[in-house]
Amino acid sequence: MTDEMNIADYLAQGGRLTNPANVPPRYRAELMKLMSIFVDSELAGAAGFADVINDGPGIKERIAAARIVLEKTDHADKVLRLMGEFGANTDRYVGHHPWTDRLPRDTAPGSARSAHDMRLSVFNYPLEGWVDAVVMNLLMGHAVSVQLEDMARVTYQPLAEALREVLPVERRHTELAEEGLERLTAEGQGAAIADSLSYWRPRVAAVFGDPSEERMAQLQAWGLRHASAPEMRAEWEKRLDAALTRLGLTETA
Amino acid sequence: MPRFHELTVRDVKKTIRDAVVVTLEPANGESFDFIQGQYLTFRRDFDGTEVRRSYSICAGRGEGVLQVGIKKVDGGAFSTWANEDLQPGMVLEAMEPMGSFHTPLDATAQRSYLGFAGGSGITPVLSILKTVLATEPRSDFTLVYANRGVNSIMFREELEDLKNLYMGRLNIIHVLESDAMDIDLFQGRVDAEKCAALFEHWIDVETVDTAFICGPEPMMLGIAKALKDHGLSEEQIKFELFASAQPGRLARKATSAEAGTQAARTQATVTLDGTTRSFEMDKDLSVLDAALENAMDAPYACKAGVCSTCKCRVIEGEVEMIANHALEDYEVERGYVLSCQSYPLTDRVVVDYDQ
Repeated sequence: MTDEMNIADYLAQGGRLTNPANVPPRYRAELMKLMSIFVDSELAGAAGFADVINDGPGIKERIAAARIVLEKTDHADKVLRLMGEFGANTDRYVGHHPWTDRLPRDTAPGSARSAHDMRLSVFNYPLEGWVDAVVMNLLMGHAVSVQLEDMARVTYQPLAEALREVLPVERRHTELAEEGLERLTAEGQGAAIADSLSYWRPRVAAVFGDPSEERMAQLQAWGLRHASAPEMRAEWEKRLDAALTRLGLTETA
Repeated sequence: MPRFHELTVRDVKKTIRDAVVVTLEPANGESFDFIQGQYLTFRRDFDGTEVRRSYSICAGRGEGVLQVGIKKVDGGAFSTWANEDLQPGMVLEAMEPMGSFHTPLDATAQRSYLGFAGGSGITPVLSILKTVLATEPRSDFTLVYANRGVNSIMFREELEDLKNLYMGRLNIIHVLESDAMDIDLFQGRVDAEKCAALFEHWIDVETVDTAFICGPEPMMLGIAKALKDHGLSEEQIKFELFASAQPGRLARKATSAEAGTQAARTQATVTLDGTTRSFEMDKDLSVLDAALENAMDAPYACKAGVCSTCKCRVIEGEVEMIANHALEDYEVERGYVLSCQSYPLTDRVVVDYDQ
């Protein structure tokens, strides 16, 4: 058999990389970055949500919040384990960042990270109570689904497989948020929900970032990214607006 | 977190002319549990250069033995050494088993598995088929095994024995590239076309629950395409790429030290948590590793130039940062570096983790 084949050609033809030994250095760097962003965002998201568990009005709500914290942490673990196979020190990883750190609430949308972790910018903003947490969870939940659907097609097979397990669970978190909002709306929390929607919408919209054109082309060629930021943002808007329509919530931006 | 463990070599056996099966035993009685289809990553120093190589486990999960197959690659330092010089009693260093080339098993399930192996790609597939047949008594396994010729078929006898042991549940199809076979179908390369022909006459691809493919790039592509054309989904196909050239993972690339002198060592001064310590370090060592070796609790996480946990500022002297995926240009301008990726160039280096 001819064993020789350029890895770029291989990936372009739909090939998959399967372990750290067959991953070329620059691909590896981008892949590590992708995984760090995911892990840091899950950890920061879980940490932020952990603080609001006891703000839940009833036992059902608290169970839902606690479950979200548990499962997001578990998702971080799944991908962190893959980073470990590349030599990342997973034991130290979790302990070294103040995952609950946030910027002041009135910081402008799209602000750069405060601490030196790789979390998405949206996780730099603090949650203010239960209604705010549920609203943020709905908005971010839809964003996460759109991004993970793209990432689950990644050419690094172990990550694609991990994300395929993660995706339905994250989708369920979004459903929980929608169910929660339905209840809060019925309880007459409409004004607070509207406030939170207008606070979070621009901040979540900012998570869809595009690298430079050149780098994006490289990422697409390697099969590490597929859709562009505007495409993903449009898809997110569509799903979010559908959810808000179902809930009878018209946003006052 | 994966660490290196010592494994004692118990046996080295030739399976074909240029491939050995190495039986290993954890040196400290540690448990070294693995899942079928996983691999071990070994490291060894060759003339001052650390080489890491991964080899798949070929033993089944319940066999109570840890074995890897190592095929000699032209110019491959580790595989040549393993084939020529490795002896029982020697100690190897390997990370715990890794890899996700497997699916969960269920003793009550009745499934059909289809495996494709090219050359030494048989190693993880052998582990999988042995484990599957032993664990799922109602499942069956079909193996399509591609080789150049009869002489290069690894585990040929063992596979025959398994066929007798699991009569009716293990079906093996050898496809040889150069040796003449009675039937044309079993000659040539295993590509999309060959797969289509096999699916037509010999393999009922519609009943397949999971397919495993292990081999070099072109073979993977051809088979995956054929499987998808015949209705298998992405989730049903498991890959393990045996790339022709594993990129070498040297401890550090050789660099021209224009800015420095020829001296191999540097006088380093490191400030961390308000304490400053000085020590002499190798220029081949990263600033981070040197600090850690000198019992300083320097911060780090990914060690890959991604997370920026190990950021420090160079106060005096010069270092070379070989990878940076975390620091912004303005930070680098101000003298910040990722210490896990930074190697001293000058004979004296002063860094500060507190700034």
